[in-house]
Amino acid sequence: MAALLRGLRVGRALRGFGSVVFPKTSSPQCNGLRRGFHCAALRLQEDKDKSIPVPPSSTTTYHEHYQAHPFKNNTATYTQEAPAPEADAKEAPQPNTSYADQSGEQGEEYETEEQLQAHILNAALDFVQLHGWTLEAISAGAETLGLSAASSGMFQNGAGDLVLHFIAQCNAQLTEQMAEQHNQVQLGQAEPKKTAEFLRDAVETRLRMLTPYMDNWPQAMSILLLPHNIPDSLKHLSTLVDDIWYYAGDRSTDVSRPSQPKYPSPNVFLTPVHQAPHTIRPASAKLNWYTKRAALTGIYNTTELVMIQDSSEDFQDTWNFLENRIQDIVNMAGAAKQAASTGEAVAQGLLGAAVTLKNLTGINQRR
Amino acid sequence: MAASIRLLARRIVRDAFRTINSSVSVRIVSSSCPSNLSACRCFSDGAADKSTHFGFETVSEGEKAERVYKVFESVAQKYDVMNDAMSLGVHRLWKDMLLHVMNPQPGIRLLDVAGGTGDISFRFLNYVRSQQERVARRTARANQTPSWQEISTSYMTPTEEIEMETEARESRAVVCDINKEMLKVGKQKAESMGVSSGLSWVVGDAEELPFDDDQFDVYTIAFGIRNVTHIDLALQEAVRVLKPGGRFMCLEFSKVTNPLLARLYDAYSFQMIPVLGEVIAGDWKSYQYLVESIRKFPDQETFKQMIEDAGLFSVRYHNLTGGVVALHSGFKL
Repeated sequence: MAALLRGLRVGRALRGFGSVVFPKTSSPQCNGLRRGFHCAALRLQEDKDKSIPVPPSSTTTYHEHYQAHPFKNNTATYTQEAPAPEADAKEAPQPNTSYADQSGEQGEEYETEEQLQAHILNAALDFVQLHGWTLEAISAGAETLGLSAASSGMFQNGAGDLVLHFIAQCNAQLTEQMAEQHNQVQLGQAEPKKTAEFLRDAVETRLRMLTPYMDNWPQAMSILLLPHNIPDSLKHLSTLVDDIWYYAGDRSTDVSRPSQPKYPSPNVFLTPVHQAPHTIRPASAKLNWYTKRAALTGIYNTTELVMIQDSSEDFQDTWNFLENRIQDIVNMAGAAKQAASTGEAVAQGLLGAAVTLKNLTGINQRR
Repeated sequence: MAASIRLLARRIVRDAFRTINSSVSVRIVSSSCPSNLSACRCFSDGAADKSTHFGFETVSEGEKAERVYKVFESVAQKYDVMNDAMSLGVHRLWKDMLLHVMNPQPGIRLLDVAGGTGDISFRFLNYVRSQQERVARRTARANQTPSWQEISTSYMTPTEEIEMETEARESRAVVCDINKEMLKVGKQKAESMGVSSGLSWVVGDAEELPFDDDQFDVYTIAFGIRNVTHIDLALQEAVRVLKPGGRFMCLEFSKVTNPLLARLYDAYSFQMIPVLGEVIAGDWKSYQYLVESIRKFPDQETFKQMIEDAGLFSVRYHNLTGGVVALHSGFKL
């Protein structure tokens, strides 16, 4: 009788272990037909589920329940995806052929296909050192995901897709970091940086993301300059520069706003002594907006070019170059302000002299 | 009692073996004799004989497969010559376009269904070979000034490893056709061109391919799918034999978009092509069937829908020569 009870308890424990083992072996079990796609997507889900911490807890029943939960998640996503491909799959907006679909299923499938393409391109980045920014790198990346090399045909722009994806990724990373810093400043945990310093740090961070691919970066730049890639690369560059200025504190959008915001001030390069808000006319504020972005674009591009042929230790020459260029801009802004105020002073002096002359000659006298 | 049980067991086993053998023999017979296959299919369809189109005629499905077989049997010898005459040589450009869009990497396995005389496979092998030569030239140029690291690694790794690596990346093409005459013509062409390695010739039906699952990187069917009785079955077979990530490509005559061009094209098709067929190949009816079957094939969007229904993703098509030919491509993801 006691032996029977002991046997029951052992049996329950074994069942608990069985359910622990079971999810691990069943998730790779994918339907032969759609293995790669589902496995890639399932891997996504698995990675998300693995983040659920397994408690080192005592009872087998609690353990069972906890392990059953991620397993159920997997089957849920698996069955959710199984009908979606069977449904009429109308593709995402692509240049020549497809038409948008409104159904919810389609929305999910579109995201998974885009995600799959992003996965392939991420895997392809590892092979850029070996193959350069080419379709061979994309094929090699696809092969590491278990897909055939022929799936690189999905990318109609070929190497351009890879480079643009990489750039978008770098820009997103930079924006995240800047947002994080901004949050810390808002929370009062960090000191706000001065604008010139902020710009220098932002450009340096962004350019440091290129260091692993520095050998092949000229090839990537030439790909970005191809005519059919220019619109996309310009768009990425302009959003990058806009984001950097936004986090540097430039919130100027409306040119006709009467009151000037306290932080930031419209002409951020100058110290408060030189600022004279009432003399800034609306037209020049807009000019200011464009000037800032043009200046930063110029700085970024020239620094990138210097970095390509830089052979110094840790690209120190490049950072010196960057520092000098930013200093140039600061000086030029100061000089422009001084010239404007000097010009106004001269104009006022001439006006005074003219009035004095008129008084002397008696034109102003009332008769 | 034990003896009778043993007898019963033996009889059961014998019956099981017999049914297995008979099904195997049916499969062997059907794969080698397509006309028998059509008869078997008639039998399996039962009493209700579904009808389909053969050009502008209406025939039963079993009959269609047989008549298509006879058409290609009779045109096989003059197939390439007639292609050049009818399309004024433009079919070469269409097939080159197919390869250009495919852009195969070295080491890829191609299945060329309805490949017949092997045009696509020959082009595929040439393309891959020239790419490999280009890569070899590039590495040779780079190796003219090898770095210290490269020299040391070349001393360390034995040469056999490097050789094995290059062998493993050899690409292979399999030409599959239901018609033995067409394959015979193709083999003769291969011998005359001196192409031997990386090419194999298999007899098979597109609706029931004699290959395992997940075998090929690229599946092409050039100007063959309109002759298949059940297009959706052929598409399903394509999905089955493709590896995950594999590509399906189909080159086929389609609807011309421009109305003026459509009228010229129709006039040319119905007036000139059967005449050319009679003069060059001595076969009016086969080329009448060819032209009519083009009109019966679904247009670009419908065919794209069919491909998506079979389970392929990222389906696109390119119109060549104003819509005379359409190149559809889809991925098994």
